[in-house]
Amino acid sequence: MEQILSVKNLSYTYKAGRVNVKALDDLDLEICRGEIFGFIGPNGAGKTTTIKLILNILPLQNGKIKISGEDSSKPKTRLKVGYMPESAVYSRYLTPKELLYMYGRIFGIRKSLLKQRISELLALVDLEKEGSRLIGTFSKGMMQKVSFAQSLINEPSVLILDEPTSGLDPVLRKKMRETILNLRDAGKTIFFSSHELSEVELISDKIGILNKGRLLATGPTKSFMGKKEEGLSLENYFLNLIKEKQ
Amino acid sequence: MTAICPIVFATIKEFIRRKDFYVLLILFCVLLTISSMQNFFQIENVSRYVRDVGYSLTVFFSFLIAVTVSAGQLPREIENKTVYPLLAKPISRRMVVFSKFCASAAVSVLSFLLFFIAFLAFDVMKTGGLNPLLFAQAAIFGTLFLCMVCAFVIFLSTFMTFAANITVSILTYLFITGFSDSLRDFSIYTKGAAAICSEIVYYLIPHFDFFNIRIRLTHEWGTLPLWVIASVGAYTVTYSFFLLYFAGVIFGRKKL
Repeated sequence: MEQILSVKNLSYTYKAGRVNVKALDDLDLEICRGEIFGFIGPNGAGKTTTIKLILNILPLQNGKIKISGEDSSKPKTRLKVGYMPESAVYSRYLTPKELLYMYGRIFGIRKSLLKQRISELLALVDLEKEGSRLIGTFSKGMMQKVSFAQSLINEPSVLILDEPTSGLDPVLRKKMRETILNLRDAGKTIFFSSHELSEVELISDKIGILNKGRLLATGPTKSFMGKKEEGLSLENYFLNLIKEKQ
Repeated sequence: MTAICPIVFATIKEFIRRKDFYVLLILFCVLLTISSMQNFFQIENVSRYVRDVGYSLTVFFSFLIAVTVSAGQLPREIENKTVYPLLAKPISRRMVVFSKFCASAAVSVLSFLLFFIAFLAFDVMKTGGLNPLLFAQAAIFGTLFLCMVCAFVIFLSTFMTFAANITVSILTYLFITGFSDSLRDFSIYTKGAAAICSEIVYYLIPHFDFFNIRIRLTHEWGTLPLWVIASVGAYTVTYSFFLLYFAGVIFGRKKL
C-alpha cells in the first residue's frame, strides 16, 4: 500500500523552567493511504506534540516528516491535510457558514465551489438548520461538529483528528465514528489521537501506543484483538504495557 | 496572500456584531450633544469648541477600538486554540501576523470613519460650513495614525498578555502625546550621556504626535502641504513595517 504519512526518528525536547523535558524520543510511524491510524497513550504521552510537529505548528528539532512524499514544513504540503484540534472555541460572533467560508477561502477554494462544499459539510455534521446561527449559542457537541466540518473544507486526503470524540455524548460519538468510517471508505487517510481505548478499538485499522514520548507498540488492530481472544482486551493490554515499561 | 481577505472580512463581521462600537458611538453622540449646547460653560464661540472636542473624541475613541481589537487578535486565537487549525492551513506564521494587522487596521479605520461622519454632521450643524480639504487631510492623518497604532499593538501582543498590552499601549500614547516635545527639548538642551539617551529614545518611540492636527483643524489654519502628508505616510509605512517584521519574527519562534 502507498505510504502517505511517514515520521522518522522524531524527537522533541522542550524546556520546563530549567529542566529539559523529552516530549518525543525517536518516534517512527508509517501510515498508508486509506487507513485509520489510532494513536493512543495516557495524558502527556506526546500525542498532541506529534500532531503539532506533523502540522509544522511546532518547529522540527530532529527527524523527518513526510506527507505524500513531501516535506511537511512546506505550506503547500498542507493543502491536502485537514486538522481538527482538541476542544477549540471558535468565534462566537460568526456562524458556521461564515467560519467555513473563511477557512475555505484561506485554502483558495473558489467562491462558487465553496458554497456547495459548505452545504455538503453542514449536512454531513447535521448542522444544516444551524448553519446561519451564531457559534456563541452552540453547545460543546455542536462546536465539535463545526470543528470537524472545518477540517474537511479542503477535501483533505489526510485527516488529523486530535481527541475527536472528547466531550461528546454517546449518540454523537457513534455518529462521529460512522462519519470517520465513511471517510475512510471514501479513500481518506485518518490519523487520530485518543485516550478512549474503546473508540480506537472500534474504528482503527492500525494502532500506535505512545507513552512518555516513546512508541511502545504499533501494528494492525487485529493483532491486538488476537490478544483479546486470549482474555486480554485492548484496555488490559495497554495498561499492562504501560506498567511494564515504567 | 489569499489568507488576508477572508480574515479581514471575518474580523469586520465580528466587530459589527459586537456591542463595543455602538456603546462608544452613543457615548460619542451624547458627549458631542452636551458640548455643542450653547452657553454651556458660558462659551460664546462654541463652534471651535465643538470641533476641538469632536475631533479629539473621534481620534481617542477610534484609538480605544484599535487597541482593544488589535490586542485581542493573536492572544485570543491562542487562548481559544483556533490558532492551531489556522496554522494547519497553507499559511505561514508571518502571514498570520500580517493578516491580523490588516484585520485590526480595517476595523479601526472603519470605526474612525463612522465616528468622523458623526463628527462632521455635528460640525456642519454648528458651523454651517467646512473646509473639505482640511477635513480630508484630518481623515488621512487619522487613518495613518490608526494603522500605526494597530502595528504597535500587534507587535506588543506577540509577547504581552491582553491586559498588559492595553495598559502599555494607552500609557505609551498618553506619554508620547503629552511629553514627546519635552523629550525633544531635553535632548537639545542637555549634554552628555543623558542627551544621547534621550535622543535615542526620541527617535525610537512611535510618534503618535505626528498625526495630531487637532489645533490646525480647530482654528482652520489651512491645509498642510503635500510633502508633509507624504512624509508622515512614509514614516507610518516604515515604522509599521519594522514593527510587523519583528512581530512576525517573535510569533514565528513562539511555542504554541
